[in-house]
Amino acid sequence: MRCVTNGANGGERTDAGDLTPAQRDRVAAALADVEPGKGNLLPALHRVQHELGWVPRAAMTLVARRLGISEAQVYGPATFYSEFRLTPPPASLLTWCSGPTCRVLGGERIKLILEETLDCRLGENGPNDDYGLWLGQCNGTCEQAPQVWLNGRVVGKLGLADAARLARRLRDGETADAIAPPPADAVEIQPALVRRGETP
Amino acid sequence: MSAAYEALRAEAGPPREARERPLLRVDLTTSSVAAGADGTLSRLRESIAARGLDVEIVRVGSLGLSFAEPTVELQRPGRLPVVYGPLPAEEVEDFLDAVLGTARSEAGGDDRRWAIGVRGGDGQAGEGQEGVPPLSAHPFWAPQQRRVMELMGVIDPESLSEALAGGRYAGLDRALEMEPRAICDLIEAAGVGGRGGGGFPAGRKWKFLLGAPGPDKYMLCNADEGDPGAFVNRILMESDPHLVIEGMAIAGLATGAERGVVYIRDEYPLSVARMQRAVDEAAAAGLLGGDLLGSGRAFRLEVVRGAGSYVCGEETGLIASLEGLRGMPKIRPPFPAQRGVFGLPSNVNNTETYAHVPPALLHGADWYREFGTEADAGTKMFSIGGALRRTGIVEVPFGSSMRELLEEIGGGVPDGGAAKGIQPGGPLGGLLNADDLGLDLERPPFTERGVLLGSGGLILFDERACAVDLALYFSEFCEDESCGRCTTCHGGSQRLVEMLGRITRGGGRAADLERLGVVDRTLQNANCLHGQFTPYAIRAALRHFREEVELHVLERRCPARACRGLIRHRVTDASDPALAEAAALCPTEAISGDDASGRAIDEAACVQCGLCAELAPAAVAVEDRFPVAAAAPA
Ligand SMILES: Cc1cc2nc3c(=O)[nH]c(=O)nc-3n(C[C@H](O)[C@H](O)[C@H](O)COP(=O)(O)O)c2cc1C
Ligand code: SF4
Ligand code: SF4
Ligand code: FES
Repeated sequence: MRCVTNGANGGERTDAGDLTPAQRDRVAAALADVEPGKGNLLPALHRVQHELGWVPRAAMTLVARRLGISEAQVYGPATFYSEFRLTPPPASLLTWCSGPTCRVLGGERIKLILEETLDCRLGENGPNDDYGLWLGQCNGTCEQAPQVWLNGRVVGKLGLADAARLARRLRDGETADAIAPPPADAVEIQPALVRRGETP
Repeated sequence: MSAAYEALRAEAGPPREARERPLLRVDLTTSSVAAGADGTLSRLRESIAARGLDVEIVRVGSLGLSFAEPTVELQRPGRLPVVYGPLPAEEVEDFLDAVLGTARSEAGGDDRRWAIGVRGGDGQAGEGQEGVPPLSAHPFWAPQQRRVMELMGVIDPESLSEALAGGRYAGLDRALEMEPRAICDLIEAAGVGGRGGGGFPAGRKWKFLLGAPGPDKYMLCNADEGDPGAFVNRILMESDPHLVIEGMAIAGLATGAERGVVYIRDEYPLSVARMQRAVDEAAAAGLLGGDLLGSGRAFRLEVVRGAGSYVCGEETGLIASLEGLRGMPKIRPPFPAQRGVFGLPSNVNNTETYAHVPPALLHGADWYREFGTEADAGTKMFSIGGALRRTGIVEVPFGSSMRELLEEIGGGVPDGGAAKGIQPGGPLGGLLNADDLGLDLERPPFTERGVLLGSGGLILFDERACAVDLALYFSEFCEDESCGRCTTCHGGSQRLVEMLGRITRGGGRAADLERLGVVDRTLQNANCLHGQFTPYAIRAALRHFREEVELHVLERRCPARACRGLIRHRVTDASDPALAEAAALCPTEAISGDDASGRAIDEAACVQCGLCAELAPAAVAVEDRFPVAAAAPA
């Protein structure tokens, strides 16, 4: 859960105003085949995030209308679940694994080094939103611990100096894809879009 | 066998193997991709095309050998398959020369550089093949009993045909001939217990649902696998999704539930994609839907993605999440079998629990109980990692020794280091001292030591880890993940974080040792097990690492040098040239001076990150911040 008062995955809420007409159309299209009803809230929010990269406040209104529920019923869960992003994602996303295997192998110090070098805390973006440092939950690739992900690609078995060098490259303007380039056959480990609906 | 199933099997044909041309299986799962398997696959495709070779390439799931990823398996016609790894993209050309080119000699090719073992039935692989030993002789493999993992890493998880050729859905076909209660009885007699941690007999739990009025009932699969460091469910869904689907469909038939949902954590996108694909394929083939294998009976299944919340793994939290609410565990009663998702009777089981159902149904209770103990029947999958030579996923009988699992299969601490302890069962599981490595892997001895065996994650740690730091870490996790319903839980976990944080910064007081127990007792009033088990980590630290906790509280010392508030870094050799790089990389620019004048650490700026000690170990000492003489009065 996202705890607003404390904890690492802070991500403060921002009200980024209204969506552009084009964005509204895209959200409407993404929600077109979502059936009304509270039970479809998570799939609806996932679709918005898939479309826009995050869940702006104004999109929650569209979700509420589509599902026929109140805005509060959207806002509560949207702010409860930590994977829904309430701020726009940066161009280069550095995700730090918060898991225990990483921890016993030095992960906490890596976080400190990343925060100090990038001059931003977990859950925040750096200047100009070029990069951001976010908290990740262990995805079970602990063989590579301690690790971080650059735009979703694992960079692992990091020493403390490795972490500092990597953070400097980001800070000095290199993009995540330049540092950890995806291969030609890159597997889409990025979130897949799942259709809500029972089998016939 | 029903006519419909027979027809599907015939259409699927025999299991895939190398007939006319070599067959190359490439493990493509989240674990292998983390090690670069997609890059290896690209290079294999390019090089094989460039060489004009005729090789069949298939993407498969995982054999569980995370430590050797990226792994590939090559079978040449008429030969047994050989597993190779790690095979990084850069070594693909050399590898192809060795296995398929001229460099390979009949007496034993230089492919042995990558070879892990020859896979095959034990008898078949025998002495191995062409200088490569059998996989069954590898320490990681030998003690395993792979029942639910049988097809993992062998079949293409995105192919229903391969699943059918491997025997999937034979259990469903059999179940369609049985009375619902007889299925429940069989699963109960086999002793299939919940693999999510509780161990509750699945057959008995299903009878509660069978007794509820239907058919509007739900069979729910808990694939939230929230325990960080555990990845058993993930590898199952990524490697053999049809096994889980088949188990759920049988459970549906056993209880009269005609609807099912697989709730998968958002952190597992590849599991989501592969499960969804498998559900679609199964439905198109009549293995799910309104008319299972022409029987007229129904089981409809859907896949739902979670959104990042640990307590959604708690079964009533999961139900709330499916209802589109914040994932807050509910107050019981009513129990899920009475009022579950959308108020309809529901049953929740762990993903691995469902995977055990088809083999148990097909082979019977005696076969199933051949392995395991009185308390926990059958086999169990474990994911092992940490300060361990061989990280991976294995399946061993319940009751096997943890020492065998971590020291033989896992190879123990790398470079001959000493194990300090084990973290079993996720954030609520507690900590064990390495003295307890000999425990049997079943629930009772763990419970008796005040910890949980849990859902299968085991993390070995060495002297670099600190029991107080880990207790703080898990308390922070529980605080972050508390749903906020109970003041005892969110306030109690906050209190633990405050106290342990203060202790690790040098503010410990003797009375804390008692007060931590008070918080622990208070937390027992929380609604769900999340709150009640939050103090397990500190309770276990006090029990199994008492001396270390007391050193922190009473003497403000951290023997592991892990708690940053209790240590300091000091330059002992100002002229060591290795300090130059440390000074350049120090995140707070705390190292002043130059080669000529020598270097020193500015205490006020240093955050004790340890980077300089890593780069210049001979020149930087890590010391107690509070020398013993200055210890706080007890
Ligand atoms: C905080 C909390 C988190 C849990 N997380 C999971 C989980 O991720 N996966 C799981 O199978 N069970 C989890 N459980 C246990 C479930 O509540 C439930 O007992 C289990 O899914 C039942 O399935 P089983 O009988 O097949 O083990 C969790 C329990 C608690 C209290
Ligand atoms: S014990 Fe904690 S997680 Fe469980 S319901 Fe209460 S506040 Fe929520
Ligand atoms: S411990 Fe870290 S912060 Fe302190 S001097 Fe060394 S590198 Fe700099
Ligand atoms: S703990 Fe970091 S990858 Fe598992």
